[in-house]
Amino acid sequence: MSAATRSDLAVKLAGGAIYGTDLDLPGMRWAALVPSPVAHGRVRSVDLAPARRLPGVVAIGAEDLPSLLPGSGDADRPIFPTREVLYRNQPLAAVAASTLPEARRAAAAVRVDIEPLPAVIDLESVFPDWPGAEADRSPHVIAHVHARHGEIEAAFRSADRVVEETYRTASVHQVALEPHACVASVTGDRWYVRTSTQTPFGIREDVASLLGVPEERVVVDGTWVGGGFGGKGSSLLEPFALLLSRAADRPVRLALDYRQEFELGRTTLPAVIRLATAVRGARIVGRRVRLLLDVGSSLPGRDFATGYSIGFLLGPYRTDAFEVEGYGVRTNKPPFGPHRAPFAPQCAFAVESHLAEVARSVGVDPDAFRADHLWHEGDSTALGQRVGPFGLPSALEQARATAARWRAERPPGRGVGIGMGFWSTGTGAGGEVRLVLTPTELRIVQGEREIGSGSVLRGLVVVAERALGIPSDRVRVEYLSTAEAPYDSGVFGSRTVGALGRAILEASASLGATLAERLGEAGPVRLELTGGELIAVARSVRRPVRELLSPGELSVGLVANGRHFADPRKIDDSRVVTGSFYPYTDFTGAAHVAEVSVDRETGAVRVERYAAFHDAGAVVDPGTARASVEGGIAMGLGIALTEEALWSDDGRFLNAHLLDYRIPTLGEVPVPDVTFVEGFPGAGPFGAKGLGEPPIIPVPAAIAAAIRDASGAHVTELPISAERVARALKLL
Amino acid sequence: MTAASADLTVNGRRASFTALPDDERLLDTLRWRLGLKGTKEGCRTGDCGACTVLVDGRSTLSCLTLTREVEDAAITTIDLGAGDREVDRVRAAFAAAGALQCGYCTPGFVIALAGLLKERGRSLSLDEILDSLQGNLCRCTGYAAIARAAALAREAAP
Repeated sequence: MSAATRSDLAVKLAGGAIYGTDLDLPGMRWAALVPSPVAHGRVRSVDLAPARRLPGVVAIGAEDLPSLLPGSGDADRPIFPTREVLYRNQPLAAVAASTLPEARRAAAAVRVDIEPLPAVIDLESVFPDWPGAEADRSPHVIAHVHARHGEIEAAFRSADRVVEETYRTASVHQVALEPHACVASVTGDRWYVRTSTQTPFGIREDVASLLGVPEERVVVDGTWVGGGFGGKGSSLLEPFALLLSRAADRPVRLALDYRQEFELGRTTLPAVIRLATAVRGARIVGRRVRLLLDVGSSLPGRDFATGYSIGFLLGPYRTDAFEVEGYGVRTNKPPFGPHRAPFAPQCAFAVESHLAEVARSVGVDPDAFRADHLWHEGDSTALGQRVGPFGLPSALEQARATAARWRAERPPGRGVGIGMGFWSTGTGAGGEVRLVLTPTELRIVQGEREIGSGSVLRGLVVVAERALGIPSDRVRVEYLSTAEAPYDSGVFGSRTVGALGRAILEASASLGATLAERLGEAGPVRLELTGGELIAVARSVRRPVRELLSPGELSVGLVANGRHFADPRKIDDSRVVTGSFYPYTDFTGAAHVAEVSVDRETGAVRVERYAAFHDAGAVVDPGTARASVEGGIAMGLGIALTEEALWSDDGRFLNAHLLDYRIPTLGEVPVPDVTFVEGFPGAGPFGAKGLGEPPIIPVPAAIAAAIRDASGAHVTELPISAERVARALKLL
Repeated sequence: MTAASADLTVNGRRASFTALPDDERLLDTLRWRLGLKGTKEGCRTGDCGACTVLVDGRSTLSCLTLTREVEDAAITTIDLGAGDREVDRVRAAFAAAGALQCGYCTPGFVIALAGLLKERGRSLSLDEILDSLQGNLCRCTGYAAIARAAALAREAAP
């Protein structure tokens, strides 16, 4: 089976797929945002009068909100700041006009008076030395997490050797090719917005909270999504578009141009990671990991990043004693947001590179050293969770065999390295689906949109196909708005097949039971296709579905519902000193092998060969699975080698376009060998585990290891640009 | 900015505008005056290739092209329907190779590759084709499936 059976191929190849940027409603107005000219400041005044004097312009600011809204929104998250501006380009007001150029002129006409305040941009300027006890009182610290287990002091005291290193990672952007875009239309008390999103229900909840509009009056409808990667997982433009539509009494389109996409996007920000490892003989006896994470202008209590990210510094290795401490540090940048496998690739880069150095320091092969400490099923994580079926040790074994072969074959000047990473499937609250059976097809009615990975259009369809034996071309995914669709928490966290897939299993079982009863035969029911008609088959009994449906069901279909809400999971609270850590479920992982060449004059790195070994539980659709791995590797290469958002001291995103923020191009990504390590079932349908995010995680680690092997350069900073390699080789 | 009447030939059809601003980009004329949304808006700075169209058979970035510059040319976009030999061949190759995920870069890739095949056919090596496609960015596929599609399309070319 190949990805070629995806049902979106035809519409996308014909140019007929409508994305957020393509939306167009009759009478629609075009909108623009009024950006803050400074990264930090006190708002003195925002004068909309000059914009309002322009013909056909509607302008709204903070003072207009009470008259536009039925209630009050979230006081902690004002739509427009009234006192303090927290990052450059933060929207201060919004305007709508008949054309985009007119809207932009109107936005430029707004008179903004802001008293500049000192801006904190560089994370490390806040704590030139590592934060100490004073950190909890710092206005810049919005999250502090701390956990420990075992006799950590004793472990470090009795160690033969302690290796301490500091790693730095860069700010990276999702770079979905489709910038954010939506169209809002408010009529009466119906707040309708059509938007390109990974989380229609998340947007509904967020918009309702921000605007103070009851959730049931907010209707969110999706579009085809031109890439999400975490960037389209929460509201960004929707509240502004809705307010403008209410004020203008017209549909309003609000879209970012690509510069704004970079400047306003919520994404990964810089971090400093300190790792200390105590070794006795060739065994790790203690680990201290510390994280200083730039969370931008994230709000206290709303920072998910610190406790979530730091978990990836703890695994996937056994450690008798550990201590982990992290701080979420506020700076005058946009709030931190998720980027495919949020912060896991950066953590894997640091942990893998560091443990390889630790191994070298005690004269052990880095791959063997990591293999000796890797989690196996039944092990306990640093925070006391039991590791379930876990294919990473097998993946590493295969990766080591490939690496050995490549090392034997490689031409001079090339290096081979292995990187690993782990992941956990099953984030998000959960979701529901509705199956509707007609005499000729099965519809999967649900609230998500296909974001590109194939998890909805292939993943869910294949689950239904296998559960009911129905040919997949008779299964159709139906998208509905949040007003009509069953709830689901969103396409993120590699959860779609695992969570919604299990909802489909439940609905399929219920549908099967109904059909079996009507067939008068116990046992599983299959749906076969004969002459364009679906036939229900249970053992030897066969009857057309048409004959099993009541007259009412013949008109609307036979309906079965299924739901799946998140599996319980818990960390050992006795190990937590303070803060929130993130519990995992359904552990998964991957080992990648990279072969690179390093230019000995410039430090430029070229990736020559690549192989990926993944535990995805039981793979539900091989073509889609392979495609996810191929794509994740390319994105990971960007984090590894070229991608870095550069922020000036006054909070400007300096390289906010695709020429200077370099993502990998066609000639820079080798076609990888992709292997799935089977036999380690997950909790998803048929044993599936999530595969949306894992492929990106090991990439920077694997590339760093290969560069080290090729040239001796041990680069501790992402991205590993030619310049950084050259510095490490003392060429600069 | 001045605006005068203009005529344009897109996918074999003639379109006339009474007042077209001199600085209007072909991308905007296609998408917002003619409603041809198949051509995608990505960066608008010529770096991503999502807006690629053919102008007299040659790959062209419609975001960096003034509509006025191409009044006398024949413009081909992804919206042209079935019937163009090279475009159809490339579409079939993309489908067979599963060479798309979100699909936002797809119209640009399909048109760029079809343009190459129109100009040079099989006289281009696969490496030359892949080199020529470096100006088209894709964030989903890692390009592996797109390279497979390019090979299939080249093999099918006369």
